Amino acid sequence: MHSLRWIWGNMRPYRKRLALGLLLVLAVAGMNLINPYVAGKIVDRVIYGHQNGLLWQLLVIMIGSTLIRTGVRYGYQMLFENLSQNVIFSMREKLYDHLNQLEPGFYDRTKTGDIMARMTSDLEAVRHFTAWTIYMVVENLSILLFALCFMFYIHPPLAMAMLAVTPIIGFFAYRLTKDVRPTFSAIRNQFARLNSVVQENISGNRVVKAFAKEEYEIEKFSAENKAFKEKNLMSSRVWGKYLPILDSLAGVLTVIMTFAGGIMVIRGSLSIGELVTFNSLIWALNNPMRLAGWLINDIQRFIASAEKVEELLVTEPQIKSIIDEREVQTSTTILEFDHVDFSYEDGPVLCDITFEAHAGQTIGIIGPTGAGKSTLVNLLGRFYEVDDGEIRVDGINIKDWNIHQLREKMAMVMQDIFLFSDTIEGNIAYGNPDAPMEAVYAAAKQAEASRFIESLPDGYDTVVGERGVGLSGGQKQRIALARALLRDPSLLILDDTTSSVDMETEFKIQETLRSILKDKTCFIIAHRISSVKDADLILVMHEGCIIERGKHADLMERKGYYWHVYNNQLGNFERTPLGEEVI
Amino acid sequence: MARNTFDVDEELETPFNLKHLKRLTVYVRPYKKKMMLTVLIMLIASGANLIGPFIIKHAIDQEIPDKSISGLMLLSGIFLAALVLSGICMKWRIRMMAEIGQSIIQNIRKDLFSHLQSLSFSFYDSRPHGKILVRVVNYVNSLSDLLSNGLIQLITDLFSLAVIFGFMLAIDVKLTLLTMGGFPVLATVIFFIKTAQRKAWQTLSNKQSNMNAYIHESISGMKVTQAFTREQENKRIFHRVSTGYKQSWLKAMYVQFLLWPSIENISVLTVSVIYVFGIAWIGHGVTVGALIAFIGYIWMFWTPLANIGNFYNAIINAMAYLERIFEMMDEQPAVKDNPDGKVLKTIKGKVEFESVDFGYGEKEQVLKNIQLKAEPGETIALVGATGSGKTTIVSLISRFYDCTQGKIKIDGTDIQGVTLPSLRKQMGVMLQDPFIFSGTIMENIRYGRLDATDEEVIEAARAVQAHEFISGLQHGYYTEVNERGTRLSTGQRQLISFARALLADPKILILDEATSSIDTETELALQKGLERLLAGRTSFVIAHRLSTIQNADRILYIDDGRIVEEGTHEELIEKKGWYWKLCNAQRLPSEAG
Repeated sequence: MHSLRWIWGNMRPYRKRLALGLLLVLAVAGMNLINPYVAGKIVDRVIYGHQNGLLWQLLVIMIGSTLIRTGVRYGYQMLFENLSQNVIFSMREKLYDHLNQLEPGFYDRTKTGDIMARMTSDLEAVRHFTAWTIYMVVENLSILLFALCFMFYIHPPLAMAMLAVTPIIGFFAYRLTKDVRPTFSAIRNQFARLNSVVQENISGNRVVKAFAKEEYEIEKFSAENKAFKEKNLMSSRVWGKYLPILDSLAGVLTVIMTFAGGIMVIRGSLSIGELVTFNSLIWALNNPMRLAGWLINDIQRFIASAEKVEELLVTEPQIKSIIDEREVQTSTTILEFDHVDFSYEDGPVLCDITFEAHAGQTIGIIGPTGAGKSTLVNLLGRFYEVDDGEIRVDGINIKDWNIHQLREKMAMVMQDIFLFSDTIEGNIAYGNPDAPMEAVYAAAKQAEASRFIESLPDGYDTVVGERGVGLSGGQKQRIALARALLRDPSLLILDDTTSSVDMETEFKIQETLRSILKDKTCFIIAHRISSVKDADLILVMHEGCIIERGKHADLMERKGYYWHVYNNQLGNFERTPLGEEVI
Repeated sequence: MARNTFDVDEELETPFNLKHLKRLTVYVRPYKKKMMLTVLIMLIASGANLIGPFIIKHAIDQEIPDKSISGLMLLSGIFLAALVLSGICMKWRIRMMAEIGQSIIQNIRKDLFSHLQSLSFSFYDSRPHGKILVRVVNYVNSLSDLLSNGLIQLITDLFSLAVIFGFMLAIDVKLTLLTMGGFPVLATVIFFIKTAQRKAWQTLSNKQSNMNAYIHESISGMKVTQAFTREQENKRIFHRVSTGYKQSWLKAMYVQFLLWPSIENISVLTVSVIYVFGIAWIGHGVTVGALIAFIGYIWMFWTPLANIGNFYNAIINAMAYLERIFEMMDEQPAVKDNPDGKVLKTIKGKVEFESVDFGYGEKEQVLKNIQLKAEPGETIALVGATGSGKTTIVSLISRFYDCTQGKIKIDGTDIQGVTLPSLRKQMGVMLQDPFIFSGTIMENIRYGRLDATDEEVIEAARAVQAHEFISGLQHGYYTEVNERGTRLSTGQRQLISFARALLADPKILILDEATSSIDTETELALQKGLERLLAGRTSFVIAHRLSTIQNADRILYIDDGRIVEEGTHEELIEKKGWYWKLCNAQRLPSEAG
């Protein structure tokens, strides 16, 4: 019932059209009775009664009514198609919009294949319900009611007798409803799993090939594929159990009519003509009851999917933005971390992080893998919420910022570079779709990417594959850097951006950055000392804490972790005979 | 090959033909017997259903006028028995049809998926992944109804059509011929609808594929979208894509739903004609009884015909999907496994490149005349600017791509002459972009060698210095990670994927920036362990950090697809060439003074 109420909520804007559609359905249901009636008349009056003059009239009625009926039926079918497309269309937009609002934490938990299943096959099930099931139910229900009324009008006792089976039909229909629902849920869940396996296989195709694990993948897939079949068969066993019962019970109506009606005729309480009329109407009871089982299936399938769609829609974004953009006085203390603690579900990641960054400063962060460096950046863009403490940008807690306004101030190059299957130009201009070509060229030049891009046969119009396949790691990083630079942000965040870029190029990039970052704040996370050495503040992170801070010279003096890393990276090299020659 | 994006419709090269249907029969054939059985069941069922009208007629004509209650009871008894019989038949029909339909679907999907496994990188690289996904999962699903319900329904409908036609002929040949007059009209209408419908569904399947691709990519790249606050723009694009889908859907429906009304109106027209002529011919060879019976059959005649029309509809729609499915099945892998290839025996690890050229397309030449020889156990480091072709060189060893000129030999055997699995199983490749499957960390490492014990997995993790951080996690090796390994830092992912490569215990190890995101401390520790691990393995190491490469047996400097320098660290430093310059750049400018 809940899902029905939910879909009604979605259909409300179209209720006038829905009402019109259902009215037309009723009309057509009534008109269905015309042709059998006319056919009967032709036999009675024309063939037996020899009133040949009536033939043309009756035929005109028959043809005319068929034309009108089929026309109206086509009309409301299109009306329902239209209506359902509108409902689904806005639902899809809502879902997409919602997906855009959900935080990375949601995507950490949810498999892409699962979301895809909701966006495709579940929506399809909902569509089928709104486009087809609704009017089929109404159509059959009204045919049934028309026929019943007519029967009661002719002969109430016989009509009552025929209704005697309805409780039994009702009982089995109820049982079917109850038993089939879990099987549809199982099918759709299995579908999501199947989707995920295929999806991961496609995304991870390089690893699969590299390890020649095709056989294993096929095995893994086959298990899910088989389970999908099993789940479908399980469901079909449930309807295989109930549908024949419902179907036979519908047939029992005819038996009752023949038997009870026959006795009534013999006893004289019913005329044979009335029995014949009953007989000519029996299909109007039979058919809807036969269909009842299938429609119940449709409805249950709808409910199984609707729940999933709705579940996604009501998933509350954990990170909520205040709606209004606010006036912000740019402060010189552009960024402060104030005793920030953060943990994922499986343990603490950052503890008591405190530092501030001023306009024009460069902050370098260095530290071992998994020390929490990238997490720091994630918190800064408010992709995750801090547990304790505050992060302030321009003196205002980032929770009090409009999230878009906040993110527009910054540009990030993430460690895990994601490029879209679009042209290189489209990728660089991702954050500023309206940027002129010159700006794109300039950003590419600043990121030292223009040379290799121009050497490609299609230059900036080269289409890169999803995730940027076809480009080397360093090329991807530079495109991502260009994408960030084009934003002209006041806060630039580079998370391990040049790890795959060769030293020479990295050096050039740093030169450029220095010149364009004059009044901007820049975060550089890196492993190479050379990347962070010139920072105004270097933070050394270890297991979620800042263990050392200061400028290069200070840290060298401390002879702590930083000094250690420095020696490891460069000290070694200095001992080579080359030492003195490099000036 | 030009890459496809979400907003580009995929051109279909093969025109519509019956070939696809014929091909489909391959999947149907194994279930021929079951299908025959189902048809038989359905015939019994329809026989049982036909008893109904007959019984009623008998009751009204005979038993009731005779006031025979016992006769009435007998008739009802027979009727009930017939209902039970038809109920049982229906139960079996439902079961069988589900069984057949689902099995066919399972087989098609399995074939499609297996074929997918044989396709090379270039296939995956050239189109959005969402488009591949939708074919394997959604398109195949949409065939299920057609193949089970549709096909069996078609057979029974054809059968009843033939029976009814026989009855009609038996009653009156002239009237039957007259009835046939409706056929050409119907055929013409169907032809026009079909043509329009087919086009509409092709467009529809394209738009659907585009939309799914866009959704898929949006989900994968969501963090970038949010970081660059591009939500509004993406919404606009999605609106466009989604509108395209909606419109093409409606267009397809406008056409498709025309079929029913057409059939119904033509049938009523035909019936009218029969009435007119039939009544006129009464007494001229047509009896009243015959005419009534004939008209009774004519109504019955159109129901299966309409069903067949529906089936035809369904086929045309399914064709739009079927073509895509078969098109993908026909996709030839760019790197073909050599069917007559020998199984590469356990190798020692000698790798030779003999004047190898390589280009991704016609225009793009990436590698030029690469000559290279690595003895078993040697460590070869590749350095050079990004995009110079280092990754490409190592990709060729695993035959991810085929070289356009020259030969690559392992232990003296041309790798094109051996089977792919036997080649790749002996390599451990750590790719630049570490991919983590959803599952536990244990499973992810074990991916390298599926029969490895837990101890061996942990051993490998220890060797790459990953043990410490893994055991620091709440659930240790049983921590669930997902697809892109979101929870893990890139460095941690690299370590896991490194452990995976090591576990495979390969004779040839390829490390493509295996440690780019790993801190120096860990890397140093890693290298100590590595020296032991690399002993006896030929390894190719791509890295930018000098500390990673200077201990290599040989360093190759790659520039613009050529090897421009080759030698040990010391030799190359002596030479004061490219490598020497690179080493200088590595040093800090302020340090230089």
